Amino acid sequence: MKPLLRFMTSRLRGSWRFLAETMLALAIGFTVGAILMAVYGYDPVLGYRALLEYSLNPSDPYYLASTLSFATPLMLTALTFAIGVRGGVFNIGAEGALYMGALGVVLIAGTGLTGPFFLIAALASSLLLGMIWNGVAGLLRAYRGVNEVVSTIMLNWTAFYTVEYIRVYVFPNPHDPSKTVSVPPDARLPLLVEGSELSLGFPIALAATMATYYLLWHTVIGYEIRATGYNPKAARYGGIRVTRAVLYTFLVGGALSGLAGFLELTGRPPHYAITTGLSNLFGLGFDGITVALIGGNHPIGIVFASILIGALDAGSRGMQIEAGVPMELVRTVQGVIIIALAVPGAIRLIQDYLRRRKLLIEEGR
Amino acid sequence: MSESLVNMKGIVKVYPDGTVALRGVDFEVRRGEIHALLGENGAGKTTLMKILAGILRPTSGEIYVRGRRVRFRSAAEALRHGIGMVHQHLALVPVMTAYENIVLGLKGINRERVEELMESVGLKVPLDAPVETLSFGVRQRVEILKMLIRNVDVLILDEPTTNLTPMEVSELFKTLRRLRDEGKAVIFVSHKLREVLEIADRITVLRQGRVVGTLRREEATPELLARMMVGREVFLRISKSPARPGKVVLEVHDLWVRSDLGTWAVRGVSFTVREGEIFGIAGVEGNGQRELVEALTGLRRVERGRVVVGGFDVTNSSPDKLYRLGVCHIPEDRHLLGLVLEMTVAENSVLGMHRWPRFTRLLGFLDQIAVRRHAEKIIEDFSVVAPGVDAPVKFLSGGNQQKLVAGRELSKNPRLVVAAQPTRGLDVAATEYIRKLLVRLRDEGRAVLLVSSDLDEVLDLSDRVAVMYEGEFMGIVRPDEVSIREIGLMMGGYKLEQLRGSRGS
Repeated sequence: MKPLLRFMTSRLRGSWRFLAETMLALAIGFTVGAILMAVYGYDPVLGYRALLEYSLNPSDPYYLASTLSFATPLMLTALTFAIGVRGGVFNIGAEGALYMGALGVVLIAGTGLTGPFFLIAALASSLLLGMIWNGVAGLLRAYRGVNEVVSTIMLNWTAFYTVEYIRVYVFPNPHDPSKTVSVPPDARLPLLVEGSELSLGFPIALAATMATYYLLWHTVIGYEIRATGYNPKAARYGGIRVTRAVLYTFLVGGALSGLAGFLELTGRPPHYAITTGLSNLFGLGFDGITVALIGGNHPIGIVFASILIGALDAGSRGMQIEAGVPMELVRTVQGVIIIALAVPGAIRLIQDYLRRRKLLIEEGR
Repeated sequence: MSESLVNMKGIVKVYPDGTVALRGVDFEVRRGEIHALLGENGAGKTTLMKILAGILRPTSGEIYVRGRRVRFRSAAEALRHGIGMVHQHLALVPVMTAYENIVLGLKGINRERVEELMESVGLKVPLDAPVETLSFGVRQRVEILKMLIRNVDVLILDEPTTNLTPMEVSELFKTLRRLRDEGKAVIFVSHKLREVLEIADRITVLRQGRVVGTLRREEATPELLARMMVGREVFLRISKSPARPGKVVLEVHDLWVRSDLGTWAVRGVSFTVREGEIFGIAGVEGNGQRELVEALTGLRRVERGRVVVGGFDVTNSSPDKLYRLGVCHIPEDRHLLGLVLEMTVAENSVLGMHRWPRFTRLLGFLDQIAVRRHAEKIIEDFSVVAPGVDAPVKFLSGGNQQKLVAGRELSKNPRLVVAAQPTRGLDVAATEYIRKLLVRLRDEGRAVLLVSSDLDEVLDLSDRVAVMYEGEFMGIVRPDEVSIREIGLMMGGYKLEQLRGSRGS
């Protein structure tokens, strides 16, 4: 509870503004979405009722479970981006690290291990692969000054095709060529709500979020990461090895996205494997960036933001099934709402960047 | 008498934070002259010129250009009236070529015009080379061409020789004379006596926001200018007992350090600081003091020479190691270096000590209770006014931020205190507090290295003073054995041995 309290008080000055901004953004997003639906001949009231029913309906735990299951990976990939921002870098590499994390599970699935042994080995391999993948960008940035936005985006695609290759040629599923070998049934994370997609993965992601919070605000490494992110010169003056602090943000971020890949494969029915075109993973890393922006790059904010986006994901099913809105339009409406939500955070990020740059220019005077 | 181009009357400038930079300045520039504006740091030279160039607006006062009253709202407007300023830090686009930079934003200019101009004023630059590949001196020529192609009649140069080699300086002077002979007016802002005497036709000396006087070159001597520049009124004195220096704490041998631009900023400086003494470094800012301090505190590479603290060679050691050896650093810029403004008072109170066992627990966790207690102690001991230890430091006033920095640095229980411009921007009370603190530290037997461009401060507090000019020490003196005239001349680039040698013989 204490971190939550701290989050609230630290935002005390801005908390009402923050809340008002979010509400306004939601209202604008929903209004524009409604207009879109109306223009294309669908009933917005019906559509939104279906959206709510399939995401937050309290009468059947299935719907809420569905929302939380969608929130699980987003929470972790959002943390990857957020910890980068805290350390002063734009780490866009959650997507690639997530693929590599999922690959880590598949690699172990090829060994024949089962049960808890499988889970432990797969977890280790997922975290390690995620860390390595992000760590490459981190090393390049810290020691060679390579822009991390460029390197992580390129590494995302390298990861995509590497994993795709391995899916097709190294570990294809002998019973189903559209996916890789699956996680053995006795090594799958237990479901929290029978018949839903919500597994033990959600509380694990929550725990990882809390751990990240403690890392950032209660440890020496977190202190150094934040100091570096706010003001690298002062950090250096404070005896902090700035290059190393930057590297830590990539390593921790990679591990978190690796964990997201692990949880998607071991926890989410029905495949328990990587599917064609990475379709069950694609976009989870990028959506995490949006979640981080909506959540103010703070672990607690990210928990709520990921649930919000998870609800939109879960509700989109309802819009298709109940209101007959085609998939493409559902995605469009969803996109409009997300953009509206992310705009305040993005503006703040840009303002911060400009302010910092101005400070550096003024110092050069 | 030649025609008056610019006439500034009764210019007053008060900055939003209450600093009075100019207290009613009259300044006149004529066609076909090189007019030097001479003064120490904070005399108001740059402020006055920024007002003339339309970058700042005066609080009161009038500006006449060719006899007509003007009110500039932007630098572009000043440029339209033929007034252009070349800043100390050049404003060029590094990846664009010299030519592109010169014609940036202009229409209807072709290459021939630029080449003609280069020919007529004798300024040669490689037009097709990207600016980032050019040396500082050539970049400056690009900047001057940029102004000339816009037909300026009044060319303002702010400390133009700071980063130039002697060769480049004489080239620049040739150009300036040529421009003068063509009937343009050149305003040469500087603190360097020798250069001013070499190039200027008339010299206006500013001190503490006022004009001390305007001289024709024939009337000026180095002594006269030095006295005008640094002439003192009564200032606050800190009483202190005679120093009792003990063991040597800091030894610096033949130190060479480069500036950000790669030029030599510190050229072979040697000195020692003992326990129980304050060693002051005076000089006009930008003469290598910042680079010297950074090299001594682990923030800048030492190219040549040695730094020894308490018998250990610490040349190019990390700040962390230096802190552990008992060095502390009150930096020149508390906003950019000394504090992380967004972090809390508690977090800032342990910056640089956050890895020490006092403040950590198992598994790399910070001991929040110890950190907060530490912050509370600093707040109490140094009477810092803060909303609380969990408030971000940016909510503290400048004086209280500085007290927090000083308090934190002294809580390291240092043997050597490096204090750079420790009272800059502080009000009188905070200034006095910090000055007394430095004397107290000395009396406790610590070694203090004080770098300040505030001459009163250095002379008042130090037991020995070095005057720095272009990366070298002009001399090391005792404040009570030196005249203001000598200090002024050393700040303007004359070596002590020259001064005393010539008097003695």
